Amino acid sequence: MRPVNITTVLLTLIVALTFQLYPWSGQGVILRPDFLLVVTLYWVIRAPYLVNVGLSWFAGLIVDLSTGSLLGQHALAFGFAAFLALLYQRRLVLFNRWQLTIYIFALLIAERAIVLMLKLFADYDNPGLSYFWPVITSLILWQLMVLMFGAPTRPRH
Amino acid sequence: MLKGVHQKLEPQESVAFFVRGPSPFSRMMFFCALSIVLMAVDSRLNYLAQFRQTFIAALHPLEMVANAPSEWGMNIRQYFTSHNRLLVENQQLKQQAVEHKVMLQRLSTIELENSHLKTLLKGNAPLIPKAILGEILHMGRDPFSNVIVINRGTQHGVKAGQAVVDAEGVVGQVTRAFPFSAEVTLITDDNLSIPIQVERNQLRAIAFGEGKSNTIDLPFLPTSVDIKVGDKLVTSGIDGVYPAGLAVAKVTQVRQSPDSPFAKIVSTPIAGVNNHLQLLILSLPEPEMTIEEENPPSAPATPPVVTKPDPKLVAKPKLKPNAPR
Repeated sequence: MRPVNITTVLLTLIVALTFQLYPWSGQGVILRPDFLLVVTLYWVIRAPYLVNVGLSWFAGLIVDLSTGSLLGQHALAFGFAAFLALLYQRRLVLFNRWQLTIYIFALLIAERAIVLMLKLFADYDNPGLSYFWPVITSLILWQLMVLMFGAPTRPRH
Repeated sequence: MLKGVHQKLEPQESVAFFVRGPSPFSRMMFFCALSIVLMAVDSRLNYLAQFRQTFIAALHPLEMVANAPSEWGMNIRQYFTSHNRLLVENQQLKQQAVEHKVMLQRLSTIELENSHLKTLLKGNAPLIPKAILGEILHMGRDPFSNVIVINRGTQHGVKAGQAVVDAEGVVGQVTRAFPFSAEVTLITDDNLSIPIQVERNQLRAIAFGEGKSNTIDLPFLPTSVDIKVGDKLVTSGIDGVYPAGLAVAKVTQVRQSPDSPFAKIVSTPIAGVNNHLQLLILSLPEPEMTIEEENPPSAPATPPVVTKPDPKLVAKPKLKPNAPR
């Protein structure tokens, strides 16, 4: 696992944001993966010295701004997901690929659940279970990230 | 402050046991508190509107990049549209144009007559709402809300509160205007209500969006109300936002339940947001129009009656036939 520099991180985040901004429509809206979240979590696990709760929170804030939702909703959820990742980061890097995928699955569910809760507090309609579909596509995106940038785990000695 | 420490220590990141800054938990608590404050401020106070606008404007170039692939796709599709189809479409459009022209001829005489009558009645001259043509950028990124985003913003004169229509009927209302784009809340959103009138019998009511189900509800009407399936609902124009007479929805279901004093009336919007891209953003009526009042020398014995000329009833939309589809 090569060390990464901050420019790579920021560039991937900007690319992820561009994908997030793509005008998804129809089925795409239901299936759209959480690009920014997946990329952020990847860097949180791989390079916690560069991407911490703060930067994740800020990424969430940008999602809030671009979706036009209440400021702080996605920010809180992103920050919390990053916190969960950081909490066990030392252990996560020792996981194998599938264990890590399961953990990421839990994190993605947690993020969606927090946003859902906050939205319901703010008097929005319940979108139903289809709201959790993007978790699956996000996991596929996670595998793509691992393919492109390498697994964030350390090889076992 | 944290950043400085990190940058200094970056080379030895992997072995930095003790210098990791504040613990994840304390960071999380800090940012949790920050987002709760933000949410409270954003939902109850209006301080962040400017910040949001600035940010959306700054994001505009990135949005253009993100939109580019779908635009290319559309261009390519347009390029390969068959000659035959274009011919058919052209034929149809020509036919429509002729029909509309005939209608317009009648309309202009009626309009003239109407304005003449209005001036006789000391009302104001009919007001033709100005309109801006816009295009749908995307259908909103938030699965929770019924909004669309259009490519016209404050730079083009769009203001929050303006009505948005398409060739078939009312689409919604501009709820947020950014420099280069604007957010239009659809009439099916459960936070939007619109004063309507049944075209058949001029019965007035207020229609509410139903949220997810993409329908419009007419609540609190008695079970005996004279509304039938198939009735067309048009704007009544008494709100000062929507000009009178625009098609809103068609009644699809009228149900009476024995345990409720009110009828359940469901209707579906007429405007085809999913079918075409172009929309018209109607400008709001001039403010002085609504405040303006006449004080005719009436008999002093009677209590002063404020006669407000009703500018909304006057405003019949005339730009429809030319709206591109």
